[in-house]
Amino acid sequence: MDAQQLTTLAGVIDKKMNRQLKQYIDICARCAICKDACHQYVGTGDFKYLPARRAELIRQVYKKYFDKTGRFVPALYEARDPDDNLLDELYDSAYACTGCRRCMYYCPFSIDTAWILSVAKAILIAAGRGNEMLGQLADAAIFKGDNAEMFNDVMISGFEDIQEEVRAITGNPESQVPVNKQGADILYVALAGAHSIRPAAVIFEEAGESWTISMFEAANYGFFYGDAEKARLITKRYIDEAIRLGVKEIVVPECGHAYRVAEFFYEAWSKEPMPFKVSHILEKVDQYIKAGRITVDKGLIEGKVTYHDPCQLGRNGGKFEEPRDIVKAVTDNFVDLTPNRAEQWCCGGGGGIVAMEEFKDVRLASGIKKVEQLKASGASVLACPCENCRLQIEELNEVHELGLQVWQVIDLVVAAMPLKGKKPMQA
Amino acid sequence: MSEENKIDLELDLKGLLCPLPMVKVSQNIGKVEVGGIIRAVATDPGAMADIPAWAKSTGNEVLQAEKVDGQFVFLVKRVK
Repeated sequence: MDAQQLTTLAGVIDKKMNRQLKQYIDICARCAICKDACHQYVGTGDFKYLPARRAELIRQVYKKYFDKTGRFVPALYEARDPDDNLLDELYDSAYACTGCRRCMYYCPFSIDTAWILSVAKAILIAAGRGNEMLGQLADAAIFKGDNAEMFNDVMISGFEDIQEEVRAITGNPESQVPVNKQGADILYVALAGAHSIRPAAVIFEEAGESWTISMFEAANYGFFYGDAEKARLITKRYIDEAIRLGVKEIVVPECGHAYRVAEFFYEAWSKEPMPFKVSHILEKVDQYIKAGRITVDKGLIEGKVTYHDPCQLGRNGGKFEEPRDIVKAVTDNFVDLTPNRAEQWCCGGGGGIVAMEEFKDVRLASGIKKVEQLKASGASVLACPCENCRLQIEELNEVHELGLQVWQVIDLVVAAMPLKGKKPMQA
Repeated sequence: MSEENKIDLELDLKGLLCPLPMVKVSQNIGKVEVGGIIRAVATDPGAMADIPAWAKSTGNEVLQAEKVDGQFVFLVKRVK
């Protein structure tokens, strides 16, 4: 790496390291309590996945440029240049991390390792070493936003097909998947897949909701990639759409990071307040059930049902009770995982890791705590409101022969609704 | 099928939910030579926007994106 590149990387570090992050790397006492909190360290025993070790890499490179001891006596103070070896270590540390922040929950100083690793991703991107897959997925989403008219016809055709499926489920030929409905109360920003639209549409229609479907998906690979500007542009697509349609509320689907991005990060990235509320689909469904706007029958779901808190929705999003209240409304046979809520184990599938083949082994190994929890629960049905979690748990289900049915929570709700049409297949 | 559309790799993406069809095409594009063609069959309608958007933004080319008997069939050419 030449001097110019090193100067560039030092600039990135300087820009990213705010007072909070400097404090984090200063106060870590290396107590290693985080080792028992991290599903990747517990699952692999590999030192490189120890949260304190991941943060230590940033401390080493920070000291090299911004601390006198590290600048003048780097060997003594473990200060390092971001050479190829360090970049390789940063890559494994940063992109393997699922950002679950369970280490932060147990850290006596609440050190946010996932935030520290955002510096690692910024360094890697500046060095041309960002994860290629996540970068491509982010760029594809931005392209769709910049060229929306190019995809209008296929999107609308897809929504029309889904509308027919919704009508078959509700038994109501008037059920809609409204597109571009000016003045609707809600803009539902689904995932790209029909599975996140179909059951939500059934519920919105049966609840008599005023809603319209977004032309864009809520998933945000710019966030996983570690590029706040790409993440902002991806989110901005549906924020602008919501403003154009004059909606009162954006509802995001069963996707952990999509909720966190819309609710907690976008205003900070854009430096503009949003003129509407952001809700998670399960908040709305919980309200509909409690208000009697939709009817669910407890006798329609067979087997013991459990619930997995996706890290971005639960520990990092504060939504613990609404999903549980929904599941308890559709079955009397609910059992919680142990531990749960803020102490819930990460399944190992977050942070975009399911899209990165190079981390498949560590991903599957890191799911062992989730497998143990699921086995101990004795459940045959798992409700899980996060796409990445479901992908991971379905793979764990297969590898460990758990015999689980893995459902979206809204699929469970639709299955429990006494509708006139045919029962849907599980997504 | 014409000679220029000789398929170098078949991807069965049926049952995968978006964005996984796009992810799988992206993961596999390096397995064909430049100029090579992947034929991918998906069932999630979201792929009809996802895969062309991925191809445009990565500089590759979608030769065909069609709905056939309820499935979505793509011919994707590796350009670089």
